[in-house]
Amino acid sequence: MRVLLVEDNAELVSLLTKGLGQSGFSADSVGTVEDAINVLATMKYGAVVLDLGLPDEDGLVLLRDMRRKHDTTPVLVLTARDRVSDRVTGLREGADDYLPKPFAMEELVARLHALLRRPGNLLGRLLTFGNVSLDTEGRQVFVDNAARTFPARETAVLEILLRRGGHVAPKRVFEDQLFGLSGDVGSNAVEVYVHRLRKMLGDAGANVRIHTVRGVGYLMAEEKRG
Amino acid sequence: MIRFRSIISRIVALHVVAIGVTSVVVPLAFYLLLNEAANTLHRDALRSQAFTIGSFLRPQSDGKVTLDIPPEMRPLYSGGYGLYAYAVLDPDGHVLFSSRPDGSALFALDEQAIRDWYVRRRSTGAVLFGVSVARAVADRIYFVQVAQDLTHRDVIIDDVVSSFFPRVAWITFPILLLLLVIDIVIFRRALHSVREASMTAASIGPQRTDVRLPERGVPTEVAPLVHAVNQALDRLEAGFRAQRDFTADMAHELRTPLAIARARVDSLEPGPLRDQLRTDLVNMGRTVNQVLDIAELESFLVATDARADLHEVCVEAVTLMAPLAVERGQTIALSGASGPVWVRGHTEALFRAVRNLVENAIRHTPAGVSIEVEVTADCRVRVLDDGPGVPEADRASIFRRFWRRDRATGESRGLGLAIVSRVAEAHDGSVTVEGRQGGGSVFTLRLRPAAS
Repeated sequence: MRVLLVEDNAELVSLLTKGLGQSGFSADSVGTVEDAINVLATMKYGAVVLDLGLPDEDGLVLLRDMRRKHDTTPVLVLTARDRVSDRVTGLREGADDYLPKPFAMEELVARLHALLRRPGNLLGRLLTFGNVSLDTEGRQVFVDNAARTFPARETAVLEILLRRGGHVAPKRVFEDQLFGLSGDVGSNAVEVYVHRLRKMLGDAGANVRIHTVRGVGYLMAEEKRG
Repeated sequence: MIRFRSIISRIVALHVVAIGVTSVVVPLAFYLLLNEAANTLHRDALRSQAFTIGSFLRPQSDGKVTLDIPPEMRPLYSGGYGLYAYAVLDPDGHVLFSSRPDGSALFALDEQAIRDWYVRRRSTGAVLFGVSVARAVADRIYFVQVAQDLTHRDVIIDDVVSSFFPRVAWITFPILLLLLVIDIVIFRRALHSVREASMTAASIGPQRTDVRLPERGVPTEVAPLVHAVNQALDRLEAGFRAQRDFTADMAHELRTPLAIARARVDSLEPGPLRDQLRTDLVNMGRTVNQVLDIAELESFLVATDARADLHEVCVEAVTLMAPLAVERGQTIALSGASGPVWVRGHTEALFRAVRNLVENAIRHTPAGVSIEVEVTADCRVRVLDDGPGVPEADRASIFRRFWRRDRATGESRGLGLAIVSRVAEAHDGSVTVEGRQGGGSVFTLRLRPAAS
């Protein structure tokens, strides 16, 4: 998958290019908004990684230009300007994701994978966290490479958790995806399915744990050794 | 002491005083002038009578003169009627003719010198006011005196004067009141542009530093003030921009090298050194972020109409920090209000405050601790933990920058709580820490409800 890296710092460009290459991406890079506009006019990329602090223009100018031309290429914004007075939501205008500097390479790769996995992309049929995987097409669960079949709702819960592996999945997302608009969600309905999934994963020997963040949602994390 | 704060009320107050003074002074002045005019009329009347009587002096062949007053004029001077009196004297002061029964002069001749034409004499309490006119008849000078008893002056003229007050002078008062009303209307219209400028000024805040007061249409007297205010706003905006640029530049200069270092470390072979370097970089990154936050919050002002949902802020903070708590073997939960809690404040700043409170609770308590974030409808966030708690002696100083209990060894609390404290201050709120029964601590962030 080709990505366009719009970043003016040569050192960061070479490190990111190398890091992305190791993760299966091939990256082209440009250092100015003008160059980026020219390149995007002729080439189609899977995603754009855009730094906001560029020498000629603000990176948001490129973002607006792309969206005005109905270019829907996913854009991941990198910024050093993570300021109190900046509304992060405002910065996200038109951007698909947002990553403040400094960031971990694996975080960037994970975010790019998430962007490319969006509807319309065939990538990412297999969601993995720890030793647990889910084939989103076949609805097949793998724990430590052993295939398992979980009931539909437990599998749906697992999918939500895997998609946000390591991060909190809000309770509302579970309610919406499990019960849709049918309503009639008992106050502990989600908790019941999470509890069952927890037990199934435990029995299957998974090295992940589902933590309840009461009042907010659920979080899947890798179990700590020792 | 200024009792009247608005210009209109000052004008009204001063105007009322002016009306009070004017409504006394103007009629009084009118009265004095009218009186003077009446006196002049009297004097002219007396003088013309003196001339008339003088014209009746006829020289005789023996060198004497006769006075032949026509019969129709005589009642004027009859003693009974008493309105006027006359006397004719020769230059030696001998009385030749007199309307008085005793034939005396009205004024002694030497008295003429005192007040030139008009003289007075008191006799039996009455005041005579009169004129003496010299008249030459057959080469001899005679003095014709005509006088009037002031107690019986011409009543018609006096009536005009005395009726002036009740009949005419009262009109000045309503006229002045009408003038006051007109003035108020004029001033309200004149100050309209000033009121508009005030409303524009009220909208200026840290988020809208580009607003300037309208200088067009403002009265010339107020224009220098408006202009000076606009210039002050220019300087303030420049200061704001310098501060914003500084934190933005500093962020770029610090975060980009950190991002490079992080990417470089990530490309190393896996091992304990790489993990250690990563941890160091994460800590350094956190400190850089906190320094930038503090630098920016130094000049941070919250717009008076800014609204933030404190519940949503707490949900986001807990969502962000939960992985760290889980990694450290702690549990974290959110309780209290389940719907929006609207407070006066800046969402992102409040988010950083709550995040730092939660992060402080996570980092300064051991594994196994449960952390609870409670948001209540009275605009309060409480972060409770059942860890070791904060010693009472440290509770005030813990919010200071880079505070540590023991300078030599103690772990620094860093800037996290200083950020919370600064955000609370910027929101006219407060943050405190207390102990919990059975151990642990409670950090309470108090804010103000959003303007409805």
